[in-house]
Amino acid sequence: MRIGSPKETYAADESLFRTRTQWVWFGILLLSLVLYPFMANLYWLYLVCLICINIISATGLNILTGYTGQVSLGQAAFMGVGAYTVAWLDNNASTPFIMNLLAAGAVTTVVGIIAGLPSLRVKGLYLAIATIAASFILQFIFINWESVTRGTRGINIEPPTLFGVEFDNPDTFYWLVVPVTVVMLILAANLFRTRVGRAFIAIRDRDISASVLGINLPLYKLMSFAIASFYAGIAGGFYAYFYGSINPESFPLLLSIFFLAAIIVGGLGTILGSILGAVFMTLTPELLRYGVDVLEPFVHDASALLSPVRTMVFGLLIVGFLLFEPHGLAEIWRRIRRFFHLWPFRN
Amino acid sequence: MSMRKRTSELFLGTASAALLALMTASTVLADQPDEAEVGVDADEEDAIVIGGSIPMTGVFAFAGLQFNDGIRDFVRWANEEKGGVNGRKFRYVGQDTGYDADQSVGVFRRITSREDVDFYFGDSTAFSQSINSALNRRDILMTGASFASELNNPEQYPLQFLLGPDYTEQVGILLNYIAEEDPGARVALVHSDTEFGRDPIRASEEMAEELGLEHVETIVTPAGASDISSAALELRRARPDYTIFHGYILSPIPDFIQRARQMGMDTRFMGTIYTMDQGIIDEMGDAGDGFMGVMPYRYYYDEEAPDTEVFGAIHEMHDEYRATTYTQGWLAGMLLMQIAQATLDAGDELTGTNMRKALDSLEDIDTGGIIGVPVTFRGNSIPVGRIYRADAEEGRMVPVSDWIDLDETD
Repeated sequence: MRIGSPKETYAADESLFRTRTQWVWFGILLLSLVLYPFMANLYWLYLVCLICINIISATGLNILTGYTGQVSLGQAAFMGVGAYTVAWLDNNASTPFIMNLLAAGAVTTVVGIIAGLPSLRVKGLYLAIATIAASFILQFIFINWESVTRGTRGINIEPPTLFGVEFDNPDTFYWLVVPVTVVMLILAANLFRTRVGRAFIAIRDRDISASVLGINLPLYKLMSFAIASFYAGIAGGFYAYFYGSINPESFPLLLSIFFLAAIIVGGLGTILGSILGAVFMTLTPELLRYGVDVLEPFVHDASALLSPVRTMVFGLLIVGFLLFEPHGLAEIWRRIRRFFHLWPFRN
Repeated sequence: MSMRKRTSELFLGTASAALLALMTASTVLADQPDEAEVGVDADEEDAIVIGGSIPMTGVFAFAGLQFNDGIRDFVRWANEEKGGVNGRKFRYVGQDTGYDADQSVGVFRRITSREDVDFYFGDSTAFSQSINSALNRRDILMTGASFASELNNPEQYPLQFLLGPDYTEQVGILLNYIAEEDPGARVALVHSDTEFGRDPIRASEEMAEELGLEHVETIVTPAGASDISSAALELRRARPDYTIFHGYILSPIPDFIQRARQMGMDTRFMGTIYTMDQGIIDEMGDAGDGFMGVMPYRYYYDEEAPDTEVFGAIHEMHDEYRATTYTQGWLAGMLLMQIAQATLDAGDELTGTNMRKALDSLEDIDTGGIIGVPVTFRGNSIPVGRIYRADAEEGRMVPVSDWIDLDETD
């Protein structure tokens, strides 16, 4: 049981990790992330890489939707911009991959700011529609700007290399994507210790009051779009490198809905929610495959018969979590933590 | 404790427990590949393993379930009747992808991390492109559902081959037939604005001109568009003798045909492989009568089919019509069997590179009757097909041409 955690300074009150226990757990997490590749097979490494890419993008969307309250259905298209930037640079300029990734982030930021302009006039569902429009326009560009995107044929990307190491397989790619994800998550968490982050939250809670308090709404709304799309751009860049090939159909509207679902299931307006949501949305369908495997000996041709069931169970799980825990997985996590904080003195 | 709270805790508890259990199961199963056998037959160490990213759900499930059945039946037949290849039995491990390229890659990773896969079946062009470098690295030979012209490039895709003519070649076979039957005919192309739809168009426009046909119009319909009224008017203005659809399975083809008939147009409608299954033609209803197209395989009810090795076996297993996508699964197996045989005969191991070498060395491959003539690969494809016409009275597709080999017509 933990007995209080008094804070003596404002800095202590604002810090990300407030107790030594938290630091220890964070250390254990980092250590297990370092040890993981030595224990897991390629399939599980593949899943972790994919989860990381999704976490980066979901975190971006959570900053925009969860923290700033601007609903966006353009996240997948923004990822596409990042992916195509990487693909174009990879095929046309021999810049190192880190440059390409940063360029992907930068280009997507600019696109995100432009796509975010409607947020200055509309919000809520109207904004969601406006971002859908942006995503259709981007999709159109992916298909028709053939000199850059190679149109519907898709475009291949060479795996990134650093110091002679080729990051072409999940076991090597892991070392690239996981550290970047950790850094980006820490950056995102820190954002909400600053004026900028708090302005976002103020805008979400009541934009008029925020404005009265002296927050420049247009500036901060666009800044939120910029940050969200920067995250999407980096995630898209990784996506391009990870799969080695992209085409306009890689970034459908459905993927945007996937990210929106991830942050809602995970918990809007929490960094942990983005992580848990992305993990849940990526991992659950895969875990359900094992359910199919377990039934294989008993059911003739289980994979064909049970695959639709798997999809339905996944859908029902999402509905269930929304119904029974509207604050998302992050809230469940908090409840578990509270339980152990008070244990054994709570019934 | 309130009722709602109890339900909520019950759900959250059960769901989390189930997911945790699956996670534990997954780690246990992952370590013991033999315990988690998915698929059919042959547990032997030296089995030839066929992996598959199969779209058993999603928009392409109608084909995916058939691929799955086809490959599974092939494996059963090859193991029981043929005793495998040099005594090495086949084993098939296929899993659902929902026709999503990312999931397909996931399934590939999943299967290859648990099995020593020798041969793989992919479900889409996007997957074939994404997985290419992994295939080369792991040295696995692959085929699949895609007939994309892009993949018909042995330099870029050395370990992949197509189960028939690529889309450009399919339209090429149609154009050759038209040029033969009706020299100088006016031809229009109608395609969807997708990777699938755009694939053969540019090359086909050129080929039509080369064959002395008059290419009068190319009409693009947006992906998923249901309203084709303006496109149909455009088609009427072009007054083609032949209209070739590509990039659709069913919709909006019947709608097009009906409107064209209402407008009194006299044009023949044609399609490519995925439109040409009897099941799809049946779904067209009245519009399907007289629909023509290219099909590289024999149909289940082909008159000569019962005498062939493969259809003989299929007829024994199934009394009812089996889709052409089912046959496609068989063809993947038959080609693998021959390639594996040639590789083992040469004293090589079943690596992708060795199997590719064997594939290139094979000539006049007997497909067990699936394709009516012995075939040879050209690049990554088999440029052979036959023109069929839907006959509503007979309720089946009837051949209107002999087998057309583009290699011989060039």
